[in-house]
Amino acid sequence: MNHKLKDIIEALIFISTEPVTPERMKSSLEDFPAEEVDMALADLLQNYASGERGIHIIQAGGGYLFATRPEFDAWVRKFLQIERKTRLSQASLETLTIVAYHQPVTSVEISALRGVDSTYTLKTLLEKKLIKIVGRKKAPGNPLLYRTTEKFLTYFGLNSLEELPSEQEISKILEEKNIEQEI
Amino acid sequence: MDSENAAPIIPPAEVPDTYQVKLGIFEGPLDLLLFLIKKKQIDIHDIPIAVITREYLEYLERKEQINLDREGEFLLMAAYLIYIKSQMLLPREQPLIEAEDPRRALVERLLEYQRIKAASGILREKEEERLQNWSRSFRPPLPEAEEIEIMEVSLFDLAECFFQLIKRRGSEDFKVLKGKEISLEEKMKEILDVLEGNDYIDFLEYLGNQETLGEALVSFFCLLELVKNKVVYAVQESLFHTIKVWLRREAPHFKESR
Repeated sequence: MNHKLKDIIEALIFISTEPVTPERMKSSLEDFPAEEVDMALADLLQNYASGERGIHIIQAGGGYLFATRPEFDAWVRKFLQIERKTRLSQASLETLTIVAYHQPVTSVEISALRGVDSTYTLKTLLEKKLIKIVGRKKAPGNPLLYRTTEKFLTYFGLNSLEELPSEQEISKILEEKNIEQEI
Repeated sequence: MDSENAAPIIPPAEVPDTYQVKLGIFEGPLDLLLFLIKKKQIDIHDIPIAVITREYLEYLERKEQINLDREGEFLLMAAYLIYIKSQMLLPREQPLIEAEDPRRALVERLLEYQRIKAASGILREKEEERLQNWSRSFRPPLPEAEEIEIMEVSLFDLAECFFQLIKRRGSEDFKVLKGKEISLEEKMKEILDVLEGNDYIDFLEYLGNQETLGEALVSFFCLLELVKNKVVYAVQESLFHTIKVWLRREAPHFKESR
């Protein structure tokens, strides 16, 4: 086991403000064999998974990122003097969900699915870099096509679009709601 | 950040009919429809359009004024529901087959919207979990973009600049004219006046604008004098550029020199 390599990887993840993907890591560590990097990384992850520290390494957006552990949320907020966290508005979340599942998708298609004009919401999502424009649809008017970004994955702690709530998870929620209703 | 940040209030299914619900809490007409369907315990695949339309319109009527910009979609849906009802009332020669049910498109939209809502509920939980993990967001200091090199110039640089100018003027044909005599004091006052009115003087340009060589010479001596007394400072943005002259506002001699 290459202990120095493990420390280097720790340093790289530490200094990054975005998830460090294994590819990115390896391109900076080209002097080391790829398998050694993988092993050192696995070892590092295991160290932090022990839960003995205030910080841990989370996996999001297909990479690794240092973050404080959730149980210390209240302390962190007190320290940073953040009383209330900013979450996405319901409109934003709904629109984002539609983009995630129907991408690439146009503004008109999104508005039709929501039954509400979504132009403004799309704008705020673009500003937050949670979605991006990927081109134009070959349809009358050549409307813009939207997709979710890497930042979207990181924001929700997902690693790829495959980790979006599955059809089964969704049906389960809907069934639960129906049962609630019958009671 | 968003003004619409408040969590959605989905009234429980057993809300009594007298319960006042504001349109604003619904994300849109589909949201309201789903709420009514749930409240009436209606099978989404077999919606009694008349019942649901009546309910739907009641909600709209509770609102004294409809803001067309924000709530026009609710009215559009009302019109759509009535349209569906009218389609269903039309007499037909053959009984409807399922694929022709005028409600079909609406049901499909409702089902898809319901799925989106469920999925966004799961994503909301993920957001919540993720937001409890705080990451640092500041960037390590990155190398800064190259700054313009600004150097303060000495008297010798100024002199060098002056000779350059004289050389440039050398090609011109000078006639010796007996002009008015300009005193250093007058010229200095003039320069300071110009400096008062402008941010800085482009040294080469200023000298070039002088009428006679004599006047230019006097100006030059004035500038040297002002630099020496620290009334102004001369700055060159980079080598071989023109020299800019700025007023040293904090200079103690400033008032006296005038």
